[in-house]
Formats: sequence, C-alpha cells, structure tokens
Amino acid sequence: MNRLHTVWAAIYRRALAAFPRDFRARWGPDMELAFRDRLEGAQHSRLREVILVAREVVNLLTDGIRERIHTNTGPLRMLHIQDIRYAVRLLTRSPGFTLLTVLVLAGGLGLSTFTFSFLYTAMMRPLPLGEGDRIVRIDPVLEGRRYPVDAIDVGALRAAVASVGEMGGYSEREVVVGLEGERRVVDATVADPLLFGIARTPALLGRSLIPSDAEDGAEPVVVLSFRTWEVAFGADRDIVNKRVELSGVSTRVIGVMPQGFGFPVASEAWLPLPARTMTTTEAGLLSLRLVGRMGKGVTPSQVVAEATPVLQRAFASRDTSVKARGVGALVESFPKAQFGEERTLVFTALNLAAALILLLALVNVTNLLLARANERIRETAVRLALGASAGRLVMQGLWETVLVCLAGGVVGTAGASWGLDAITRWTQANIPANLAFWWVWQMDGVTLLCAGVFVTVAIATLGVVVSHRVMHTNVRQVMQDGNARAGSRHEGRLSRALVQTQVTTVTVLMFAGVMAGIMAQRAVNFDPGYDVTNLLQAGISPPDARYGTREKRQDALRNVHARLAEHEAFERVVMRLDVGEKTSPTGRFATRDAGSAGTVPTAYVRATLGDLSALGARVVEGRAFDASDDTSRAPVALVSQSLAARYWRGRSPVGDQLRLAGIGDTLQWRTIVGVTSDVMLGNPLSRDRSPDGIYVPLLQSEASRAVVLARYRVSEVAGREGLSQAYSAVDPLLVPDTVQPFAEVMRSVGLIAVSVTRLFGACLAFALVLALAGTYGLMSRSIGLRRREIGVRRALGASDAIVTRLLLAQGGRQLGVGTLIAAPFLIVGGLGFMHFFPVGGWLTLVVGVGVSVSIIALVLGSTWLPTRKVLRVTPRDALWSD
Amino acid sequence: MRPVEFQILLTLAHGDCHGYAIIQDIQARSNGALTVETGTLYRALQRLAEEDLVRPQEGRRTSPVDDDRRRVYAITTAGRRAATEEARRMSALVEQARAARLLGGA
Repeated sequence: MNRLHTVWAAIYRRALAAFPRDFRARWGPDMELAFRDRLEGAQHSRLREVILVAREVVNLLTDGIRERIHTNTGPLRMLHIQDIRYAVRLLTRSPGFTLLTVLVLAGGLGLSTFTFSFLYTAMMRPLPLGEGDRIVRIDPVLEGRRYPVDAIDVGALRAAVASVGEMGGYSEREVVVGLEGERRVVDATVADPLLFGIARTPALLGRSLIPSDAEDGAEPVVVLSFRTWEVAFGADRDIVNKRVELSGVSTRVIGVMPQGFGFPVASEAWLPLPARTMTTTEAGLLSLRLVGRMGKGVTPSQVVAEATPVLQRAFASRDTSVKARGVGALVESFPKAQFGEERTLVFTALNLAAALILLLALVNVTNLLLARANERIRETAVRLALGASAGRLVMQGLWETVLVCLAGGVVGTAGASWGLDAITRWTQANIPANLAFWWVWQMDGVTLLCAGVFVTVAIATLGVVVSHRVMHTNVRQVMQDGNARAGSRHEGRLSRALVQTQVTTVTVLMFAGVMAGIMAQRAVNFDPGYDVTNLLQAGISPPDARYGTREKRQDALRNVHARLAEHEAFERVVMRLDVGEKTSPTGRFATRDAGSAGTVPTAYVRATLGDLSALGARVVEGRAFDASDDTSRAPVALVSQSLAARYWRGRSPVGDQLRLAGIGDTLQWRTIVGVTSDVMLGNPLSRDRSPDGIYVPLLQSEASRAVVLARYRVSEVAGREGLSQAYSAVDPLLVPDTVQPFAEVMRSVGLIAVSVTRLFGACLAFALVLALAGTYGLMSRSIGLRRREIGVRRALGASDAIVTRLLLAQGGRQLGVGTLIAAPFLIVGGLGFMHFFPVGGWLTLVVGVGVSVSIIALVLGSTWLPTRKVLRVTPRDALWSD
Repeated sequence: MRPVEFQILLTLAHGDCHGYAIIQDIQARSNGALTVETGTLYRALQRLAEEDLVRPQEGRRTSPVDDDRRRVYAITTAGRRAATEEARRMSALVEQARAARLLGGA
C-alpha cells in the first residue's frame, strides 16, 4: 500500500466513527479491508481515488447517522430531541442575535451559491438536449488560437474521426424575410441538416431539415424559430408549406422549432447548408463551425487524437509556412467552446471572490457564536461540574450551529434562486437576439447541491470552533474567576486568527472590487476616437441569391454608399468592415522594404468606403481613398502614423508596398498611398487595443457586407428614413439591418459591464458592511476579553495613553499579519489585471496602496472605539464586575 | 426486501463472497450503473445477518490469494428462499407491466 493509500485509509477510519461502536466492532475491520480493495481497484488513477474516497466518506457519514438513529430508538433519540428543543429555546430567547447570524450566513451562502450556479449554467452545464454532454465543438488550433474549419476539410474530418458519429457544420448570415412593406432582417443559421439529428429535438410544427434539403436542385426551404414564427407570422398554425420571400427567393416553410430551441446558436431561422460546399476542392470559400456528437464512452482527447493529423495535413497543404506541430484540434463541450478561452480564469476568479465573501461571513458568525459561548461560560462550567458530559454539551452547541446554518442556508438559497430568476428575466429582456439558448438560470439540482455543500462547510467550520470552545472550558478557573477566565490563551489566539483572516479577506475583496469597478467604468465611458453625435449605424448584406458574384455585391455596396452620400439627410457617410485583427493571424502583413525586427508584423485591418475622418482617422500625408479605388485599379492601402513610425522609422511609407497575408491577400502587393492620424482600434476592454491600423478600400477587399455609419443633419427619424430610401433606391429588397444610434451601440457595449459591476458592487457592499461590522465586533470582543487585565494595569498606574498605545499596537500587529498574508494575493491579482486589461502598473499600485490605507484606518478605528469604551470603566468596576 | 439486499442475495446465490467481491459483482451485473459503497453494503449485511438470511464465516478463503482477515459471506437456506420469493414478486410485476403494454408483447 502506498503512502497516499495510508492517508485515505486513515480518513476512512475516521469517518467510520460515524457508526455506533457496536457496529464498528462487528463490521469495521472487514469494511476497512473492503475499502482498501476498492482503492487498489482504482487502477492508480489519482482522480478516481479522490472521487472514491469522497463518495465513501459521504456514504459513511450518512449511513452512520442513519444507523445510529435506527439503533438508538430509546434514550439517545430522546436526548437529541431534548438538545434540539434546548437549541431552539436559546435561539428564540435572543431573536436579535439569531436574526443577525442567520442574515449574515444567508448573505454569504446565498452569494456563493448564486455565483457558482450562475457561472456553471453560463459555461459548464451540458446542453439541455438529449445527452447534451456528448455534444462538442471541434476547432482547429494554430499557435494556441482557435479558428473555424474550412469547408474543404469537413469531409476528411468526417472520414477520419470515427469517435464522433454525427458531425455537421454551420455558419451564420442575415436574410430578409417578407415582401415590400413587411420586410424584416433575421439572423439565420445556414446549417448542415445533420445538426438537427445531433440536437435530438423534433420540430414543434412540420419537420426540421433533412439531408435531401441540402442537395443540388432541392427546393429552397426554411425552418423558423418559435420567436420568428410568433413575431413575423403571428403564430400561424398553418404556416407549414406556405411560401415566404427570403432575400428575394420564394422559399417553403417546412417547420417551426419549439420555444427556447436555438441550437447551435441563437437563431431566428435555419437554412440548409448546400451539400456541395462540403465537396468543394477550393480552400477559403466557406468557413464553418463544426459540431459533433461523441459516441458513448468517448472522451474529447480521443477526438483530438483522431482530428489532429487531418488538420495538420490540411493546414500544411495550403500554407507551407505553417509548421505542422503548431496545428492541433480543440474539442470542448459546446457551452465551454462558445464562452471562449478565458472561461476557466473567469470561473475561478469569480468563485474565489464569492468564497472569500462566505469566509468573511463565517468569520463574523464565528465571532458572534464565540461571544455567545463566553456569555454562557459559567453555565457550561456549572453543568460540567455537576457531571454533564462534554460530548453532550458539544451536541447542544452543535444543534444551535446546525439550526442557524440551516436557516441561513434556506434564506440564502431562496435569495440565490430569486437572483437567478431575475438574471434570466433581465437577459431575456435586454439581450434577446443573441442569447445562448441554454442560458436559463433557475433553481435546479446543481444549485441545491451547491447550497448543500456550502451549508455543510459552514456547519463543519462553525461546529469545530464551537466544540473546541466547550471542550477547552476550564471548570475550576471559570468557577473561581467567572467570565474573566473566558479569555484563555486558546481564546486569545483564536480571536487574533479571526481578525487576521478578516483583514486578509477584506483587503483582497476590496482590491478586486475597485479594480473591476475601474474596468467597468472604462467600458462604459470608452472613447471610440471619433465624434459619435448624430451617428446612425446600420448593416448592409446584399443577398447571395441575387448578388452571386463579388462584383455584383460590391456594385451594390458602391451604389448604396453613393445614394447615402448624396442624400440630404446626411452630412457624412462611411462604410466599414473589420477584416483583420492585430491579435490574430488575420492581422498579419508583410512589407516589401521595411524591416520587421524579427517578428511577424500585425495590425488592425479595416476595409472602408467613404469619408475616413468619420472614423476619426484623418489623412495626414498622401491621399485618401475614393470610390474609384476598386478592383479595376491597382491595390492600395493607408497606414496609421503609429504603424508608420514602427515599421518605416525615419522615413515615409508612402510609395512602399505591403501584403495582407492574414486575410488571404497573398498574391497582391498593395501600394501605400497615405498615412492617417492615430485612432485606438480593437476591443475597448482589451489589453490589445492599439492605434496600429491599415485601411484598405472596401471595393478592393473580399467584403460581401459592411457596416454603415451615417451622421444625420436634422433628426434621427429623418436619418432612418434616409437609410431606407437609399437602400431601396438601389434594390427594393435591400433593407438596412439593425439600425440604431451609435450612442445606443456604445451603451449596449457597456450594458453587460455596468450590470455585472452593479451586481458585484452589491456583493462588495455586502462584504464591506460585513467587514466594518465584523472588524469592530472582533476587536471589541478581543479588547473586552482583556478588560480585567486593563483594570489591573490601570490600578497599578498605567495611564490611558499607555493602555491605548498597547491596544492599538495589538490591532496593528494583527493588521500587519493579515496584510502580509494578503500581499501575495494582491500581487498576483494586480498582475492578472495588468495582463488581461488595459490598466497600467501605476494605477494598480495606487489602488493597492489606497485599499491598504483604508484597511489600516478600518482596523485602527475598530480598535480605538472599543478602547475608548473600556477606558470609561473604572479599574474598580472592571475588577468587580468579573 | 430492499433492492441492495436483493442484489447481495443474488450475488451470494452464485457462491460465497467477501465484501469487495460482492461490490464488484453488483457493479459488473449492472454494467457499472449501480455502485454500492461499503457503508451501505455492511448495513445491509448486518440486516441480512440479523434475519438469518446471510451467514458471515470467519477466516475462510474463497481463493488462494485471499487475506485471512477477510470475512466471507454465505447465503442461508432462509436467504435463498427469501430471494426466490422476491424474484417471483418481481417477475409477477413484470408480467403485469407487460399486460399493461408498458413493455413489448402482450
């Protein structure tokens, strides 16, 4: 037996104590042997061992208690009932104390349960479809970043990855539904019909897509979402087999999916992905997200092992510069993959913050329970002296703790349940269009299990402290000296440890809360770098059905732009599309002359048509683009000043050439015709925000859609009308997509940040109230325990100033230890914020110092106030009262 | 009779076993769907022993590699009778379910 098995066996033996002595004597040795056999059978897997031990221990505790209750039908059960009644009497006799402890515990337990349940549903919960835990997303990974799958690779992956029985791709696009006067743009998913098999969800009306719908020459069909069916078609029960205009193509409605269904992404309609796109031999035509259902018993690592060689071969065949070992496959459950790469960090950090609030609540309740135990110390000593067993007294204290924790757990769980329902209502009201369909937060088994675990932790922690206090009651000293002896060495040590824990917890929570608040504030007030007054934003997507070629699509974009530019409602118009990101390979470029200092140069690449200054980028050298910069002329580009300074140091880039390798511009060199002023580009909350930009003419890119930014002259209504007129003048079937004021766009960017900040601001406020009240309570009790000692000191001539200094020094020492323990957490947290967010070292340092000063003021204030109180008692009264 | 007790009797009907072997057999028979922890197993064994349906036998090996300290459990005649009764009751229930067309056939 290895060393770890010896530890597990010792834990098992301890847990066996839950069974009555007679049972242990008869069955215990055999049970231990059976447990050791099971451990040996865990096949040396640490994880299996841990799970086995956890299950066994929980089983021993529950069955042990059942056995005790079963076998002790007589006196012992009566004793427990008596103890419970006694605990209830004690709690009802002090309603203020009971209410306070229950509320503090409810806050800590409720917040922890809410946070865990919220994050679990958002990121970890298997999809609410049949055996949803087997549904995975398969993404190619290049140098640590994930990409969509090229349609050309889907066939090879299907053939090679046998562990995924069903596999299908999808992409998203916008389509116009309806005829003139009743048109609306909907977000559609172009899906492989196999996806509906993977989802295992039948249609509410009609049927879902089947493979024959995707074959060449098949009749155009569409499946509607429940929401589209309700909103656009008035919940018409006879909708199936009716024909609708879909981006100008007569299409038959074949089904309506049930309410809440949005697989794989929130979608308003599903169109078949033509089968021929999977059999294409040309790379780069279509990118897909790939979803599959793993076979029973298959693990993601098996899928990775099968998919990686296929992807390595595919990438290497298309781009010889790609090193095969840098390519891999990432296979994750669908919600995990959708949430992105930072989910583990977010999940851990937020749960840690919630756990700290629970710890804070436990520290404060411990203090309250200890203060109460001290009030009853003489009663405890008398009962011990009269022959009551320590075990009996411990059980009475434990029942009080159990009742308080259960009440706190019930109230906290009810609060968490209300919070989860409120979050669901809020998200559905505020972000209905692109909400992940499994984001329905509510009370469920996981929430209850989580609450149960937290309540058990609370009972165990508080139970240990209360039992420890009773077990260490010195009967002789208490009977002789009364409550003064309550301040034993053990008690003092425990009191100091509580203060130190409180200081550490509050310091870390305050630091994280202030930093998160600053980040949210920046998200709300972010500056896009240009004037957003009177700016309207709308999308434009010429439908493939009638704009089948790049030339046709770009003609539509050019014509709409021309109509908008000459429309009297607008003073400035620009079309824009983000085609390359500095943080991904799409932003890679090569220059003909400038050095790249050993690294692959990257920049934000923006395709534009119209007045660039509307985006904050003025041309400071050379010329701007005009509508004639299209595919008939030599390719051109503009670079920002910061990019010019970096790669064309000391000289002008105008006249030099660059190639945008990241967006497939591998064959042509673009001549730089000008330099623009700098404007910050990229995600406003990201550390990667940068002014390094390259602008290319929209009509010289592969863009088939764009975002229109138009500044209206008179009113928003006139602006919206002007957009519709300009679009329909080019094509009656073209409608502006999602028209909204740019200020509204910015508000929605900050909406989630503001809401999350408010939510966690409320949690932080609760933590701060706990910290203020708790620190005062702890210091007050700690000083109260020394009242007799202070009386003696003053009787012997110590001045008030000396006593105050003495007590402040005590508070200072605890503050120092608490801060020292918090320091590594602050450093790691600060570095984490600096790594992930655009926040400088100085700001982090200032926040760290500010938080530390606040904590120092809090602790010293909490020490000074009870010191003043204790000094008001005369030495004679201090000695006499005890 | 509780399901875990019936499972134990079912295992012992094939031959005498020690505790871990009973756990393994139940797990194997249910294709891993049913795992009995040691606490539940021994509480059930105690009940069965008290009703004289199972008899613990000290220091008897069922195989040469067995530890002498392991106790081996054997089904008694009363245990076999009780298990048979329980199996008949279940079989009758299955027949009734089949008659109600909850299972295949009529």
